[in-house]
Amino acid sequence: MVEAKHDVLVVGAGCAGMRAAIEAFDAGADVAIISKIHPVRSHSGAAEGGINAALGNASDDSPEKHAFDTVKGSDYLGDQDAIEILCNEAPGDVYQLERWGAVFSRTDEGTIAQRPFGAAGAPRTAYAADITGHVLIQVLYEQIMKRDIRVYEEYFAWKLVVDDDRCQGVIAWNILHGGVAAIGAKTTIVCTGGAGRLYVGTTNAYACTGDGMALALRAGVALEDMEMMQFHPTTLSPTGVLITEGTRGEGAYLLNSEGDRFLKRYAPNAMELASRDVISRAEQTEIDEGRGVDGNVLLDLRHLGAEKILERLHGTRELAMVFAGVDPIDQPIPVRPGAHYHMGGVDTDVWGRTSLEALYAAGECACVSVHGANRLGGNALMETITFGKRAGAHAAEWALTHTTVTVPESAQADAEREVKTLLDRTEGERPWAIRDSLAQTMHENFGVFRREDEMQRQGEIIAALQDRYAHVVVDDKGDVFNNDLTQALELGFLLELAECMVMAGLARKESRGAHARPYDYPERDDEEYLKHTIVRRTDSGLMLDWKPVDITKWQPMERTY
Amino acid sequence: MRTLAYYRGCLASLSAKELATSTEALAPQLGFDLIELESVTCCGAGDIHEAEPDYYLHLNARILAYAEATGSDTLMTICNVCTLNLRQANWELKNDEELLARVNTNLESVGVPSYSGGIDVKHLLWLIAEGDGYDRLKEVAHKGLKGLRVAPFYGCQILRPSKLLGFEDPDRPWTLEAIIEACGGEAVDYPAKIKCCGFPIIQAREEVALGELLQPIQQATEAGADAIVTPCPLCHLSLDAWQSKLEASTGRRFKMPILHLSQLIGVAAGLEESELNFKRHVVSVKPVVERLAV
Amino acid sequence: MTEAAVHTEYATMDVALKIWRYDSSTGERSLETYEVEAPEWVTLLDVLDIVKDRVDGTLAYRKSCRMMICGSCGMRMDGAAVLACRTRMAPLVERGHVPVISAMGNLPIIKDLVVDMGPFWGKIRAVTPWLDTGYAPLPDREHMVEQEDVTPIHKEALCIMCGCCVSECNSMEADPDFLGPAALAKGFRFVGDPRDHADVDRLNNLNDEHGIWDCTRCYFCNERCPKGVDPRDAIAKLGAESVKQGIDHDMGAKHAKWFVKSAETTGWLRETELVPKTQGIVASIKQMKFAMNLARHGKVPLPFPPHVADRVDESRALRKITQLQDRQGALGHVQGERALARIEHTDPGGARRDAPEVTLGETPPPAEG
Repeated sequence: MVEAKHDVLVVGAGCAGMRAAIEAFDAGADVAIISKIHPVRSHSGAAEGGINAALGNASDDSPEKHAFDTVKGSDYLGDQDAIEILCNEAPGDVYQLERWGAVFSRTDEGTIAQRPFGAAGAPRTAYAADITGHVLIQVLYEQIMKRDIRVYEEYFAWKLVVDDDRCQGVIAWNILHGGVAAIGAKTTIVCTGGAGRLYVGTTNAYACTGDGMALALRAGVALEDMEMMQFHPTTLSPTGVLITEGTRGEGAYLLNSEGDRFLKRYAPNAMELASRDVISRAEQTEIDEGRGVDGNVLLDLRHLGAEKILERLHGTRELAMVFAGVDPIDQPIPVRPGAHYHMGGVDTDVWGRTSLEALYAAGECACVSVHGANRLGGNALMETITFGKRAGAHAAEWALTHTTVTVPESAQADAEREVKTLLDRTEGERPWAIRDSLAQTMHENFGVFRREDEMQRQGEIIAALQDRYAHVVVDDKGDVFNNDLTQALELGFLLELAECMVMAGLARKESRGAHARPYDYPERDDEEYLKHTIVRRTDSGLMLDWKPVDITKWQPMERTY
Repeated sequence: MRTLAYYRGCLASLSAKELATSTEALAPQLGFDLIELESVTCCGAGDIHEAEPDYYLHLNARILAYAEATGSDTLMTICNVCTLNLRQANWELKNDEELLARVNTNLESVGVPSYSGGIDVKHLLWLIAEGDGYDRLKEVAHKGLKGLRVAPFYGCQILRPSKLLGFEDPDRPWTLEAIIEACGGEAVDYPAKIKCCGFPIIQAREEVALGELLQPIQQATEAGADAIVTPCPLCHLSLDAWQSKLEASTGRRFKMPILHLSQLIGVAAGLEESELNFKRHVVSVKPVVERLAV
Repeated sequence: MTEAAVHTEYATMDVALKIWRYDSSTGERSLETYEVEAPEWVTLLDVLDIVKDRVDGTLAYRKSCRMMICGSCGMRMDGAAVLACRTRMAPLVERGHVPVISAMGNLPIIKDLVVDMGPFWGKIRAVTPWLDTGYAPLPDREHMVEQEDVTPIHKEALCIMCGCCVSECNSMEADPDFLGPAALAKGFRFVGDPRDHADVDRLNNLNDEHGIWDCTRCYFCNERCPKGVDPRDAIAKLGAESVKQGIDHDMGAKHAKWFVKSAETTGWLRETELVPKTQGIVASIKQMKFAMNLARHGKVPLPFPPHVADRVDESRALRKITQLQDRQGALGHVQGERALARIEHTDPGGARRDAPEVTLGETPPPAEG
């Protein structure tokens, strides 16, 4: 029995999901959001440094400059039509957030303050101290409450319902009370974020298990550029807790064990504000060559002074004190690259449409592609807002011009049978060993630097883990708050996504952006590989294909910082 | 003898006179030479602090200035609320030059000496507890409490916010227990000893306040206490003067004697009734007195 | 990728916890003990994960970011609400302490450490938690706002809605309908926002029963908040704004105003008059019998002759000055925040590890540009 039928169903309640829902609601659609955690718990809230838009408050700037920086930052893999849309619409979208009440930091003139950020030609990262994501999550949830938009809170979206070659909604597990629920919708927008949990050192929350990408994959939808995982240069070890790029925006230095600002050898112009992939590779090289400190490099904020740190980087200081045991006012913070952001995801057009009718995707789980092979800091939050809005608008329009929703009986019944089988199983393995093994081996074999033999081995490891996963045991057989069950289902998502990533990684025989193959293919190869990888699941297994990059204004050039 | 500037506060001057008489009689025995501040006002309690914070800051800056003018480096308080209020004002003035300058300009313009940040505010409780205070206390409390079972009631504002008070762990305080033991009594433990007595809202929200007040009274009774001791006269008013109101909701007459800290030590030190002034309590302290007279 | 870069060996320790398990369908509660081996850097959340993974998968708790920003993992440790992800276990293990973990207080428990946040969100909604620009025309770009005008709400804007403040709220325990620290702090986030023009409506709403003046000032919320929001201070800011704007019909406001009156007239609190001034004559007459009993013990000092402080004219003059110096209302509280921010935030649960030993080769050059 179908729980409800909506015009637009948004899966995931982070910045992209909430922005999409608001837009769809304002367009007159009956909208609902489904989220496995309360909306304000979404990982968008952990974003720190800021959101990019050519507001021109800190210096002369233009959407065109922003677009060029983004294209170059993407190592020329980004689709330029999408990038131009992002950069043109960004300022208006940021103003809208402010008018709704977002608590931004201000310039002396009273405009939204902007700080310099990695690989940006001008300071265009609008910020709220070092808690920008938190501020945006709060303002978006306020607007959700204002419109009284229905949220299926703590419902775990598990499968897409596909009927008549169309997405018809979602099959979910009700976490609070138990049971399988079928929620029908004329259009579905997945905004479920990234899959950092594939890696042992990640900035991502436990909830970031790539759910929407896996849902789409299983429904036969195309995934794009899956090999492109960004490693953020400043994460704490061993947890991977994020230390914002904003520290470098305020002037922090990166030092090796010799006290040397080593970036002068890798990115002599931009130094600490070079592109993230460049810095992560530089750090990894320093560490590998023995100039690290216990597997880290040092982020030094001391010269910024206590006043500035307390005012602009207060959250960062707390994180350093609690999770690294250092006070950045007095000591440098040990940091290393950690899995942070997935440039790849569900292949969409500039309206968020995927290869399945009535299915949309926006935010980190989507790949428009605005980030190509590497994302600029501050562009992720902007993407969630601009493309969340666009997906919401288009989905609402489509939904309002179509009348039917069909959720076949079998969809729910099949899911219930599957859950029962899983819960009934008593002989087998607990998920944690599989999960930890996946995360450790991805870190080793599919990290900052990749090589053919390691990637091949990783493919085999994943296959073996999938065999083990087929016998996974859920301890909790109950109905009430059974996240033992949902965590086991999440592991299934991760394994399938890992398989796609390795397949795409092997296929791309060049180094571009975050996909670095210094041992076998150290150069970028625009002749052969100026194209996106496309992975789909078909009846004969995973298939790989290619898709050209959309080029409007900027031909690929050598990329140095 | 240790010279201390002494801030009596409102209640000790009026409805809780017994707190002033017992404190002032006890002080010399504790080695404290108290210089009472003459030209001061109410600290504002939580009320002026909330409603007119700038006035609150100035009233307390004035108290601190006059304390400093006595030449002492320590201001002794005998009330939780006064302690928090003065310590917060003190912190704000000592850690913000601009703020201190502005306040001093205002103080000077009305004829009050300026404040240079030379005062540390300490409750009597801390002055006794710090250093070798307990050893001294054992000597002072020569008559002893004869195993009297005493439940300590800290209340709120001697513990929280701990970043402004910070004398002890706000969730596991020990000063009152140590004092009770040093005086020969037996400390009785119960969870509500660090919770609120309800006094700040006892007039505006009586029912809610009584819901809070019930907890320490009931728990101390059930734990077998003979009396409750508290370092705050506002808590004392709640616990003592409002205790009878608990009868309406529970049908029980608790008859739990409530002692001020200075009275607890005072009775163990042999102070006279004219100094202890137990007759001023609403709930009779007779059972305690009789117990100790034996 | 070198071995050294990937595998850093950490010392492990034996950690023991007691957890209150709860099944809401049967109402059964039980205190269970768990002992596991864990790396020395673990937090309470990490230990719960180890227990759930390897010992008992039925243990229920919420988690997500593990870096103190999502607000999911609020729970009580030894009766005091903390974020599990921020509570280091090493110091407890060193002391040999076995903590008791239970669900947060003042909210119904669904299972084990998972509470029903429904009532929490209901109270948030009750304060109309979205910007209300009233009839002011919306700008094309952003509102122009000076940074110093954002400062009054920068602490309230830190709130991650974790519920730790609500867990030990003494007023809410005695009155479950009290809006509570989180909702009231959110209320001030709007009252203090220069772009919001609904102050009067908001303050009127919050000056009702279960609002501002129900706060008992126990400061548990300030003590428990893991983000430094200081909800009690936000409530005080609301009280100050209410009095400043003349929204003072509540008994709590009248109570506060009488303290002000006392300080500027006699210097000392005019105790006896406090009751009629707060509760009104009628209610005071109803309290007569109670008051007489107090009077017999000298607890009702006669208002005449008034107990006047020496040099009370200084106090009067100070009131006049402060009324003119633009620190009225919430700003009077905000002015102290700069100094208060300097207090070193030490937390027994957040103990520090030793920082790495590094001898730097040379002093880094000054920043360029």
